[in-house]
Amino acid sequence: MEAHGPPLEGAHLILFWLALAAYGAEAGFRLAGVAPASIRKSPVFAGVLLHTGFLALRWFLSGHAPMAGLFESLTVFSFCCAVAGLVLCRAGETDAGWGPLSILVLLPQAGAALIDKRMTPLYPALDTPWFASHVGLSFLGYGFFAAGLALGIVYLRGGEEAVYRAAGRSALYGFSAFSAGMVCGGIWAYYAWGSYWIWTPKEIWSVIVWIYFATLTHLKFIPAEAGWPGWTKRLEMGATAAGYGVVLLTFLGVSLLLRSSHSF
Amino acid sequence: MMAIWRFLTSLKTCAWAGLAFCVAGAVGSVVMGRYPELFADMDAQVFAGWFARKGFADPAPTSWLYGLLLATALFAVNAACCTAERLVRILRGEVTLRRLLPHVMHLAFLGVVLSHLVSAVYGDRIPGVAIPQGGFAMVGGTGWAMRLDRFDAVMAPEGYPRDFSATVTLFRDTTPVARGVVRTNEPLFHEGYGIYIKNFGTTPWGAPYAVFDANRDSGATAILAASLLFTAANLLYLFPSRRNDA
Repeated sequence: MEAHGPPLEGAHLILFWLALAAYGAEAGFRLAGVAPASIRKSPVFAGVLLHTGFLALRWFLSGHAPMAGLFESLTVFSFCCAVAGLVLCRAGETDAGWGPLSILVLLPQAGAALIDKRMTPLYPALDTPWFASHVGLSFLGYGFFAAGLALGIVYLRGGEEAVYRAAGRSALYGFSAFSAGMVCGGIWAYYAWGSYWIWTPKEIWSVIVWIYFATLTHLKFIPAEAGWPGWTKRLEMGATAAGYGVVLLTFLGVSLLLRSSHSF
Repeated sequence: MMAIWRFLTSLKTCAWAGLAFCVAGAVGSVVMGRYPELFADMDAQVFAGWFARKGFADPAPTSWLYGLLLATALFAVNAACCTAERLVRILRGEVTLRRLLPHVMHLAFLGVVLSHLVSAVYGDRIPGVAIPQGGFAMVGGTGWAMRLDRFDAVMAPEGYPRDFSATVTLFRDTTPVARGVVRTNEPLFHEGYGIYIKNFGTTPWGAPYAVFDANRDSGATAILAASLLFTAANLLYLFPSRRNDA
């Protein structure tokens, strides 16, 4: 880690706090029932720009992708949730997704604010481009799955067809990003640890997330019918929303509750 | 017979197999921590060898693995039958070649599962080959002797290793067959085996030593190819014009 002096280190933390404030403002407005005129004029859009500056500066200062440790994991998670929202919740009908999603963007960033923010050196095993691609793509997938929860809730509360389609895209985009992240992780593990697969709770849960969303993307093609479990759009949306719980268990639950050599 | 075929090609089967996998995996992730004496050495040998030794000896704590394997098998057979049915319909002229990307993904997924099966049966794990600098050690049953020519470590002021590397030479009988530098993320590959540096330290007499693993995953190249095929098809599938549900 090179020394760039306190001014830049301070500046990058200011960007972090400003992004947090912007996400907080977005959540506050949404909870008060105030929606911006367009997404480009919203606090969350400004928050994403500030957050991009924060992450870029931290990358520059630390010399590695800012994705190691709990602080960086949480803030990248928040960033990816916001980016996924910008991709999926742009149009009029899907804008309602920002109601729940603004909370999902805010919470990890607020959680990160409570954690030690010092830049730590990277362990040799993490010092590879496969680390950034594996973690970055996985978090991008998590972000889309968070958007899926928000859109699923909106649909279940009387949302329109456009919301259903956007929620379907969240599962597909998230699955795609997560799959690519798993491929990168497998390549990295092969070079770093001698096998693309090791038996740890984190790896098992990663495949659970993959299988869950692989199955979910098939649900919409099952003809609707009466009787349990009643394959309907509402079931699909419920499963899309519940997928976020699987993601949280994988991301935080396994790291904090179960013993695994693969953290965050 | 038709009922079995309908079951194997059904999307509902896919849904239930997926759910079964999730449940079995979730249970397993907890059970693994409760029985470390049983599961701690799962990565010290290939899966088939471990399962033959422990999977039948203690069925209760390993029952989640049976569920996981059955769900995976059903998931794979379901994907294969779904694609086979599609191909049959194409051959009969009932459907066109359009919208085939999901089936390319099915085939790639099958490639990953089958290649992993090959690795799990025909792979090899030789953990914990410890060698002092200048010394030799046999590498499992490969017939190679490995010499640690030189070990270098760059330590940070805080005391953690910033970088470490080992120059090693592999011998068969007395003839050198491979030489190279092994460091984290940069193994030495020879005849299908990867030599990985795992640990290092100092012997009681002051010489540095390094600990290596030698692993062979026979299906790794095929898994990489299938994974890349899956990713490519998946990325193309993201274009709305290529999806029925766009």
